[in-house]
Amino acid sequence: MQLLVGEIEDGIFLGAFFVLIALGYSMVYGILRLINFAHGDFYMLAAFISFTIFGAVGASHLHGQWLVIVGVGLATMIATGAANVLVERLVYRPMRRAALLSLMIAALGVSQVLENGVLNIPGWGAAYLAYPVTTSDAGTYIFGTRFTYAQIAMVVIAGLLSVGVYYLVSRTMLGKAMRAVAEDRIAASLMGINVDRVIALVFFIGGALAGAAAIMAGLYYGQINYLMGFTVGLEAFTAAVLGGIGNIPGAVLGGLLLGIVQSIGTGVFGAQWAVVVSFGVLVGVLWLRPTGILGERVARRM
Amino acid sequence: MVLRNRGLLSVAAATSVAVAVAGYGLSGASTVRSHATASIASGSVYKVGVPMPETGPNAQAGTEIFDAEQLAADQINAKGGVLGHKIQLYEQDTACEAQTGASADAKLVSLGVQAFVGNYCSGAALPGEPIVARAGLPNLQPSANDPALTQGHFKDVFLLDPNSTGDATEATAFFKMMHVKKVLIADDQSAFGVSVAQAAAADFRHAKIKFPTVQAVPATTTDFSAVISVIKSTGVQAVYWTGYYAQWALLVKQARAAGLNKVVYVGADSTVDPAFISGAGAAANGTYATIVRTTQLLKGKQANLFTRQYRAKFHSAPGPYSAFGYDAMNTLAAAARKAHSIAPAKVIAALHKIHLNGLTGPVSFTKAGARVGAKFVVLEVKHGAYVSAPKQP
Repeated sequence: MQLLVGEIEDGIFLGAFFVLIALGYSMVYGILRLINFAHGDFYMLAAFISFTIFGAVGASHLHGQWLVIVGVGLATMIATGAANVLVERLVYRPMRRAALLSLMIAALGVSQVLENGVLNIPGWGAAYLAYPVTTSDAGTYIFGTRFTYAQIAMVVIAGLLSVGVYYLVSRTMLGKAMRAVAEDRIAASLMGINVDRVIALVFFIGGALAGAAAIMAGLYYGQINYLMGFTVGLEAFTAAVLGGIGNIPGAVLGGLLLGIVQSIGTGVFGAQWAVVVSFGVLVGVLWLRPTGILGERVARRM
Repeated sequence: MVLRNRGLLSVAAATSVAVAVAGYGLSGASTVRSHATASIASGSVYKVGVPMPETGPNAQAGTEIFDAEQLAADQINAKGGVLGHKIQLYEQDTACEAQTGASADAKLVSLGVQAFVGNYCSGAALPGEPIVARAGLPNLQPSANDPALTQGHFKDVFLLDPNSTGDATEATAFFKMMHVKKVLIADDQSAFGVSVAQAAAADFRHAKIKFPTVQAVPATTTDFSAVISVIKSTGVQAVYWTGYYAQWALLVKQARAAGLNKVVYVGADSTVDPAFISGAGAAANGTYATIVRTTQLLKGKQANLFTRQYRAKFHSAPGPYSAFGYDAMNTLAAAARKAHSIAPAKVIAALHKIHLNGLTGPVSFTKAGARVGAKFVVLEVKHGAYVSAPKQP
């Protein structure tokens, strides 16, 4: 029992990363019907951007200086959001009338460009880079399982960001515009909504959330690599589908659920079964509820 | 459908990157470089083929081993050679690639070499094995040590660098010394990791060390919390990781953060890398790794003399596997002397029964050609650096 509780807690921590990345996936899907396969690589890009910023501000002396870490975090989120907007402007916007399949292939292309681009940038490259700042090992026991304070803070931050996004989308005028564009792009533009700007904003938020996840990963796991976005991106996509893609609470639920399933699956069956268990659950859920757990909109054209 | 496309494309892209990186600067890499003096009459020459990486990222290691072999050959020749035959080395570039490696071996066979003492990379050695075996020549490998090399049922293959079984044996001895009775074995699903994990499981059974599970962790895993809960639930006293250093850093760091500070952490030689220490930070301190004694880790008069002679001749320090190259050449010469002949079939027969004291420890081979007797060492990380552990098994 104690063990199960510990595994669920571990799963929530792991799920917090999935949630942040899944939100970006889900929002972009919601508004463009695009499965943005490059999204995981923006997470990777953000990790490298923050790596460089920390290096520039002399990171080795920053141990535990939360204000600086938060500052670098915000800068990275803005930079990653901006990069995502730039890609939207250069790649997806000119293709908006093209078939969705072409858009998706373009996203795959962007993913490859990002991965191999980072590989070729001096100072980044193919090696596993040690993240310049690490968090302290100080921590506490929650229901018998030890977590560092940094881990707890990360889960809280992920929670706050998720709530913030939910509030933005469901309670503000901007959110209403987003929902309108998602519902019917042409009608929305006839109502005077600046569709391009709304879509750009969605990409910005998605990129920024991936940026937040990347900094948390760098701080906690301590190493970054140009391929780090691939698996996480796939898992976050799974989480988004699991919860119901296009749906904000669905992304949160799916992310947490996937984390917990992976954690328990490994505990019960062994690490070699983690992927089998989590994707098995995905297939099972989609079999029972093709639109995901909270999904309302069917993935019609996919 | 969508997922699979992504996976395939990505794998293809990753492969092409890997190939591009591995193949970087390797064009035009098949020239023969003979380091022997031309004046030796061919009748009294013992031609030895040395396929080695001369180009690409492993060129340095290839040169370091070749030079050590040249040193051994010169010393043997100065004492009259092997049964009156002067050793002459024929080097051929393998670039550490399968194709180039195979064609290097074929070229050396056609040049009429009578023995092989080469290969740094297992990947280049493997496809050459049948070529050398068909020619019926002894095939000594100074540093290639993939277990697959001795699983091809070739009677002429002899590996100087002990393969994964040696790693596991050393770890088992270490656990016994530390009175560890229950260990979690974990690998990264790589060929190397799995083979060491299997060898460890066999050794543990023999030594009556319990291992509740063997966790095969996907190489992409970064979060080890689930493995850590297995460590807790099974109550193991130690973790033996046979994967690579990057994931080992993550596992150790996260396990220590989860409060597992009394667990003994031991990694296979694949974990020995400065990147492990920089990746795990302070958590790396107090962890162990088993590794075969490479040149710099060898102790004693014989090893010091070798290092001095190598420095005097080549004006640089020997590389990690230079000592294995030196031993390989001396092993070949000793086998020929024992056989009273340099006829390949007789040398192969003698190699199967050889016992000699090399720099890297006693040299003899299993029936399949794997090294027996190489010296290992347990390393400990102290203050962010690898040192020899104070207590050795």
